[in-house]
Amino acid sequence: MPTPRRRLFIAHLYPDLLNLYADRGNIQTLRRRCEWRGIEVEVAAVSLTDELQLGDYHLVLLGGGSDREQEIVAEALRRRRAEWRAAVNDGLPVLAVCGGYQLLGSYYQLRDGRQVEGLGLLDLVTQAGPTRLIGNIAIDSPEAGRIVGFENHSGRTRHHHQPLGRVIAGHGNNGEDGWEGVRYLNVFGTYIHGPLLPKNPRLADLLLHTALRYAGLPDHLDPLDDRLEWAAHEAFVARRIES
Amino acid sequence: MLAIWIGKLALWTLRLLGRKGTSLPGQLALRLNPRILEALGRQLTSCIVVTGTNGKTTTTALLAAVLRVRGPVVVNTDGANLQQGLVSALLVHTDWFGRLRTKTALFEVDEATLPRVAAVLPIRWVVVTNLFRDQLDRYGELDLALAKIRDGLQQTDAGLVWNADDPLVCRLGAETRRQGKPQVSFGLHPDHLQPPWRDLVRDGAFCLACGNRLQYDGFFYGQLGVYRCCHCGFARPDPDVVGRLESASLIVQSRHWPSPAAHGNRLAADPAGAGTFADQASIALPVRGLYNAYNALAAISLLAELGFQPDEIQAGWASFQPPLGRMQVFATRPTSVLNLVKNPAGCDSVLRAILAEPGDKVLCVAINDQAADGRDVSWLWDADFELVADLGGVARCVTTGMRAEDMALRLKYAGYPPGHIECVPDLAAGVAQALAAGWSLGGLSVYVLATYTALHPVAQLLAERVVADADPTQAAVHRASVS
Ligand SMILES: [Zn+2]
Repeated sequence: MPTPRRRLFIAHLYPDLLNLYADRGNIQTLRRRCEWRGIEVEVAAVSLTDELQLGDYHLVLLGGGSDREQEIVAEALRRRRAEWRAAVNDGLPVLAVCGGYQLLGSYYQLRDGRQVEGLGLLDLVTQAGPTRLIGNIAIDSPEAGRIVGFENHSGRTRHHHQPLGRVIAGHGNNGEDGWEGVRYLNVFGTYIHGPLLPKNPRLADLLLHTALRYAGLPDHLDPLDDRLEWAAHEAFVARRIES
Repeated sequence: MLAIWIGKLALWTLRLLGRKGTSLPGQLALRLNPRILEALGRQLTSCIVVTGTNGKTTTTALLAAVLRVRGPVVVNTDGANLQQGLVSALLVHTDWFGRLRTKTALFEVDEATLPRVAAVLPIRWVVVTNLFRDQLDRYGELDLALAKIRDGLQQTDAGLVWNADDPLVCRLGAETRRQGKPQVSFGLHPDHLQPPWRDLVRDGAFCLACGNRLQYDGFFYGQLGVYRCCHCGFARPDPDVVGRLESASLIVQSRHWPSPAAHGNRLAADPAGAGTFADQASIALPVRGLYNAYNALAAISLLAELGFQPDEIQAGWASFQPPLGRMQVFATRPTSVLNLVKNPAGCDSVLRAILAEPGDKVLCVAINDQAADGRDVSWLWDADFELVADLGGVARCVTTGMRAEDMALRLKYAGYPPGHIECVPDLAAGVAQALAAGWSLGGLSVYVLATYTALHPVAQLLAERVVADADPTQAAVHRASVS
């Protein structure tokens, strides 16, 4: 039986503003892992001036930027809050990293006490801390196994949803409660970049799975030759986490 | 005084050991006397500072080569641009009584270090090369680097030589002008503009004045280009000094070098740049690549301001040796060329320069993640390694260093064939592997990219493999006859 034509549409939101930590790596990973399996993929770089139609996409990526850039984006996102809420409740897969993760919540409180209102999709708040939480990180995720990468954030995030995983080494959401990221319906939020997906192929495929299902397409994923991916993952754990 | 003695002793000891001591002597002296920079700096009569993200070391070296023609200058070399590097350089020129024998200094200064040294040095000029994203885990964010330089500038009456093609640096230029301090801007000729055809990082792509997106007519590299803000009118000014690269020469237009013709007929000058400037000079460049033309232009802009004539600059550069890891050629077998990479914009410019070199080649990328490299290797994904796959001509890639696997993965996802990637984390083994690959493929040149802490070890490894009469073309011929 011939495989039906599969085509995924991915939106990369505001790459000109929110691309502080190499989100291009996440895009490249999703794109290639589709191409290698014969899944067609189109990634649209959506900028602030473009009209964003959430219904056109099967996966939305939101990265992080500097405080200034994040405020600009927050303002733009808030104007479409109802649309976002409907799409997310309908199961829209979203990958939000660093600043993008913070923007999903109710607000981000800056060091001067000012609150930048977020999308309010999640019951999640972030406060700027006195120091930046910087360094290599590894977490254990019930869905995607061990996830490794780098974190660099001054925000301390707290929420009542499921976390993405438990911190094995590093700081995570706030450096205190031992949790990292958030999982809500098909939303994945995390502070882990480095970038996130290349060295964590299980998580990358979980996202593709989720996107295919949301798109109503057959969701099987042919296995790939991931030796380099796992070599990078394992070397990172051996040299940067365990030693 | 003890601090000076200890520092000088360390300097001599390191020299006896055959080492350069660009940092350690200063570090020891600073530990004994935290105010030693002030004590030595006070004895200077004038000081020039070069700062910015990329090109500091080369620009400093280019300036030093010309300034030294007129007399001795204290210069920190090899990118030792923190306080200890400055002190180490001063100690070289200090006698055992603590007296500084040389009265002018030229320092490459790290952006974050500038505000901490600006008050204690008699800084006359500050050159700002550019502001790219660099080592985010050290400074937090880009705006911070801008704030640091601004903070440093405000503590001095120094004039500013600044890159008009960089919208971030342009803010500094505008502020300096408002404060009534001398300032000179430089920029490339629009002939070099490239349309924004690649999805690259543009750090300064938003107007710092009003937050709106900047419009670009085109880019030189990174966020450097001809930009304007449609909302508040912020725009690239016409630079005071304009440079156009013509093969290996820079054609420079500067108000300080009016040609005789221009004196008589100023209107004959064609500022739009159809190639017929009446007041232009042609200066042969001792460095390769467009990004180095920028460094040369920055140096020329200041030198013209200081009264140097084109022929003096040319003479100063006649015996110029590029600093460590700036297209540095080693007569290994096959030939190898070493380049420092530290951030996406710099890496892209190096990749473009390398890929423009003729013939097939082997690429060796050495990535470390020590503090001085930046512990976060995300930037590898912002660098345009897709060029390696897209432009072709790279027969083999060897990745090495503490993050060799990450680099291998980067190349795989850039579309480079995984079968042609060899991942060898050990630096010595990696360099050997790259040379062996170049050799076995018929004597292909090996281009090595290395992050900061990998640079010195790799340079050492390559230097050890320099052969007395290595001739890469001979090696290739020899190899061909064997196989
Ligand atoms: Zn503006």
